[in-house]
Amino acid sequence: MTGRPSTVGAAWAVLRNDLRVLFLAPAGWVFLTVCLFLAGLMFVGAVAETGEASLRPAIPQLAVTLLFTLPLITMRQLAEEARTGTLELLLTAPVRVEALVLGKWAASMVLCLGLLAATAPFPAVLFLYGAPDPGVLATGYLGLFACCAAFCAAGLFASSLARDPTVAGALSVLLLLPSWLATAAVDWMPASFAPALRRVSFVEHLHGAATGVLDSGELAWFASVTVGFLLLARASLALRRWR
Amino acid sequence: MLVELAMIETRELTRRFGGVDAVEGLTMSVRDRGVVGFLGPNGAGKTTTMRMLTGFLAPTSGSARVAGFDVTDQPLEVKARVGYLPETPPLYPDLTVGEFLLFVAELRGVGRSIRAARVGRTLEQVGLRGWEKRRLGGLSKGYRQRVGLAQALVHDPALLVLDEPTSGLDPAQVVGVRELIRGLAEERTVVLSTHVLAEVEASCERVLLLHRGRLVGDGTVDELAERTGTGGRVELSLDDETEDLRGPLAALPEVDQVERTGPSSYRLRGGTSLEPALAAWAVGTGRRVRCVVRRPASLEAVFLALVGEGT
Repeated sequence: MTGRPSTVGAAWAVLRNDLRVLFLAPAGWVFLTVCLFLAGLMFVGAVAETGEASLRPAIPQLAVTLLFTLPLITMRQLAEEARTGTLELLLTAPVRVEALVLGKWAASMVLCLGLLAATAPFPAVLFLYGAPDPGVLATGYLGLFACCAAFCAAGLFASSLARDPTVAGALSVLLLLPSWLATAAVDWMPASFAPALRRVSFVEHLHGAATGVLDSGELAWFASVTVGFLLLARASLALRRWR
Repeated sequence: MLVELAMIETRELTRRFGGVDAVEGLTMSVRDRGVVGFLGPNGAGKTTTMRMLTGFLAPTSGSARVAGFDVTDQPLEVKARVGYLPETPPLYPDLTVGEFLLFVAELRGVGRSIRAARVGRTLEQVGLRGWEKRRLGGLSKGYRQRVGLAQALVHDPALLVLDEPTSGLDPAQVVGVRELIRGLAEERTVVLSTHVLAEVEASCERVLLLHRGRLVGDGTVDELAERTGTGGRVELSLDDETEDLRGPLAALPEVDQVERTGPSSYRLRGGTSLEPALAAWAVGTGRRVRCVVRRPASLEAVFLALVGEGT
């Protein structure tokens, strides 16, 4: 028999396997629990602080939380497989590297979707006691989703570089940290730096989505960061053969 | 003219890691079916060679073809035809045997309609029927190795590459895995690596001897033995003889070399018709033979001779 799965078929197999591994081990559940707990605190804080029936202040806070928690998931994706030897299985299967990268990225995205879905009680509470704008809520979630896509791709790339999951985790935080620090740096760096800093800050690019203004430029920013890191992950995996 | 297609064909295959040649100028050809053993001390380049044949590593220079496909230019075609068991079986500890094999089968392109049946057949082949629901993390070394074999076999590959398939197994498991490999080799080519000489003697029809990344010997155990002058010996033991018979024995045309190993026992070297010649001589001179037995070539001697040669 000399069958070969299609790229989509192989990505689908990798996605399901990754999710299974994620939820059979505690990692997936710990991630969801921690994120939901922190998200709850931010929600309460946001509502108490502003008195508004909206998630506006909570959106960037949640994104920053994900910067530190998503690496817990993505760091294992390739580094753990390299450490235990299962990467050898994946890389000797008749499957394109693209399929592995897409499957793994999609698996972490499914987890993010699960997390976002699990925050549904927060807007539900808003609807119960106030009159939030459904459009603003929707763009807020879209912004968070775009942010997750970028973080997952960066984490996957970091994971492809390291042989140790912990190193991969630290590396992905290091990759994303400048983008967060740039937000604060806008205030104390010379004004001439501000445009450049705003350009690299993911918080700045969440602004429109959090306030209900859907900006295609902002979404394109997240999309290009995502695609860029996915391409880097692909190159890094493909280069393993030559290293 | 009938041209036999080689399963593996390498030409000056070389792999360098940071300036060090792990494999250097390896040229060889392995035909379809049967068991071929890569033998060599640790660090000889066995694993690196296997990783190039399975598409995990790219050659630094030279070429390798598997089932007619180039490992550099057509890696997916090669991978589709190869089953590979790395030195440590690549298992996800949290999955069950069944979940794992279904995943591997899907990844290797086994169609959905026949996937479950293929996994069932493979489990039967490796003696794991009824183990589908066991978690991989809880399996003993021997069973992990069997699952490792199963994942290499599940897509019914033409070439099976096994890196140290019996390392770390207990003697009973070793025998079991060897039998399994022999059975598998009836329908496909099996390449296995080992640094255990007995392994090669027990299961390989042909030996490729690697030392420091180079091929230093290629042939059957007997051929290698002949080449290195470490070939088979015949032991002759006579009844109630204390006389030194080295002279008359050496005079026989079939005998090349005689050594007296006891008052009435001798070790002889010579052609393949040594035993009947000795028996005829004993009968003709009225001597009673206690035993005439051929001791096969010792791979250990071959190995030391060739590895010594290579240094």
